[in-house]
Amino acid sequence: MQWFVIFKKELLENWRNLKWIWVPIVFIIFAVMDPITTYYLPKIMDAVGGMPEGAVVDIPMPNANEAMMMSFGELSLLGVLITVVIAMGTISGEMKSGVYELILSKPVKYTHYVSAKFMSIALMVWVSTALAIIAGWYYVALLFGTIDFTKLLTGILFFSLYFALIVSIVLMVNTWFQTPGLVAFISLLLIIILNVATSIYGHILTWSPALISDYIGAYLSTGTLTDELWYSALMALVFSIVCIQFAIITLKNRALQ
Amino acid sequence: MALLEANHLTKTFNNVSVINDVSFSLEHGKCVALLGPNGSGKTTTLRMLAGFIKPTNGSIDFNEESLSKDFRNYVGYLPQFPVFHNWMTGKEFLVYAGQLAHLSKAEAKERADELLELVNLKEVRKLRISKYSGGMKQRLGIAQALIHAPKLIILDEPASALDPIGRREILNLMRELKKDATILYSTHILNDAEEVSDEILLLNEGKVIEQGSMHELESVQNTVTIKLSFSEDPKFIEDRLKEIESVFKVNQVANDYLLTVHDLQVARQQLLDVVNRENWQLTKFEVAKTSLEDLFMKAVKS
Amino acid sequence: MMISQDLILLLLPVLILQLLLLVIAIVDLIRIEETNGPKWMWALIIIFLNIIGPIIYFIIGRRP
Repeated sequence: MQWFVIFKKELLENWRNLKWIWVPIVFIIFAVMDPITTYYLPKIMDAVGGMPEGAVVDIPMPNANEAMMMSFGELSLLGVLITVVIAMGTISGEMKSGVYELILSKPVKYTHYVSAKFMSIALMVWVSTALAIIAGWYYVALLFGTIDFTKLLTGILFFSLYFALIVSIVLMVNTWFQTPGLVAFISLLLIIILNVATSIYGHILTWSPALISDYIGAYLSTGTLTDELWYSALMALVFSIVCIQFAIITLKNRALQ
Repeated sequence: MALLEANHLTKTFNNVSVINDVSFSLEHGKCVALLGPNGSGKTTTLRMLAGFIKPTNGSIDFNEESLSKDFRNYVGYLPQFPVFHNWMTGKEFLVYAGQLAHLSKAEAKERADELLELVNLKEVRKLRISKYSGGMKQRLGIAQALIHAPKLIILDEPASALDPIGRREILNLMRELKKDATILYSTHILNDAEEVSDEILLLNEGKVIEQGSMHELESVQNTVTIKLSFSEDPKFIEDRLKEIESVFKVNQVANDYLLTVHDLQVARQQLLDVVNRENWQLTKFEVAKTSLEDLFMKAVKS
Repeated sequence: MMISQDLILLLLPVLILQLLLLVIAIVDLIRIEETNGPKWMWALIIIFLNIIGPIIYFIIGRRP
């Protein structure tokens, strides 16, 4: 009951500060831009001309799956960036301003406070990615070829777990500092470390959540859900729970300190 | 029976002790002022009682037939600088606070309406809090502290930051509230403490150095200060005043003379006799109520 | 130019979204009491920086 009260307040807040409007729009634009430019760039260059005599514009056209992965790729980059930014002040900002003291003087459970905030941001990000990927899929179907929609939905579900992890990391960092900008910076640093470590030790860290979008790409072209995809999804889930638990414990200890 | 007993409370931050072995009890229905200079540990004490921070040592016991250990359920707390969700309206915030304290939505709404009436914010209930003035925010802060009908109301410097009108409103409100709740509030304005509280608790450097009812404390002092003003400064006045046997100390502050006396009745008689005899142009004779201030200064300096 | 007509038709939804973003940002800028920094500066940023302008307005321009 109390959880739901906080959750609803968060939804209302993100509606009034317009996040529920601009975040989905921005995600959709990110997801459709790449497939469109990739398709039209060679044609435009041809049409515009200006190329030296004899030069051949030879950019290989990607297939439908590769084009679809461009949408996923943009969201793993810019979508993640936006996610970090919209979540950076959700706890740290309340501590900095002082509302936190009023709210926590009521019998609010720390578990409710953190998990309701997680859910409200995650929900917004999930809806935005789902809409964006579907929009990207629509353009890919127009320009490159169709992809099975149920496969796409499966891909979106796995992708959501990666975003759940991003939100959890930002929430955890939120409890460490009271400056939203610093929260964003440290969160991005952690996410970059995760990605860099995964690309260096990718052959060992096959379960790394940072590989989820790669595995989704493989799934879209082969149609089989690999063990690696399941493991990395499971890891994303486990890490998310750990981060949220950390956030709750940090807040509790802050009260004890 | 006491509503609350605080036993040997100690709080250290990074090995520096802020509160040191503080014990006191709060009786039902009393209005208690927590006094002390800046940095004496008032806010820390209140935050511990509000359940916002946990004491390093010691215990806080509510004598309630309570089932819940979380005593935030019985305490309403107003921080020194209350900050709200400014994007909400006053009423929305109260309803939210009420629901956080486990009221149902309908109960919270009903209670919010009552409190908006009480703190005189009914007209602006649908206005965003960002548009509220300092005094309105302070009153909204009190309303949110009361939303779940707490047994104990804790107010941290409720009137200190306000202009005289705002201060008056808050003091009147507190007088209203103490009819049916226990109030503990901190202040450094001694006049406020004298005006509304039944008891005081004097804190210095993290320790309770004086506590008791206003009457007790005043009688312990057993001296009274008399303030005299004259239209023109009489000659040899200090010498003459010092000759009066009931007066044992004379201080000149600007154009006023402050006399410390033991027995007000005798001193008044003797003083007025001298004034008449010497034909001094007396413009003001005031029995100054500075006992609390004296006590405060004495306790803090020792 | 054969492609231009297709292209415009194809880009239309995207253009509408961009415009929507811009309009929402401008309307919000007009209605909001205070921004971080002068309002006219934000108006320029929103109008002249395509997509990015409204985004950075929403992130740092709006005062919570």
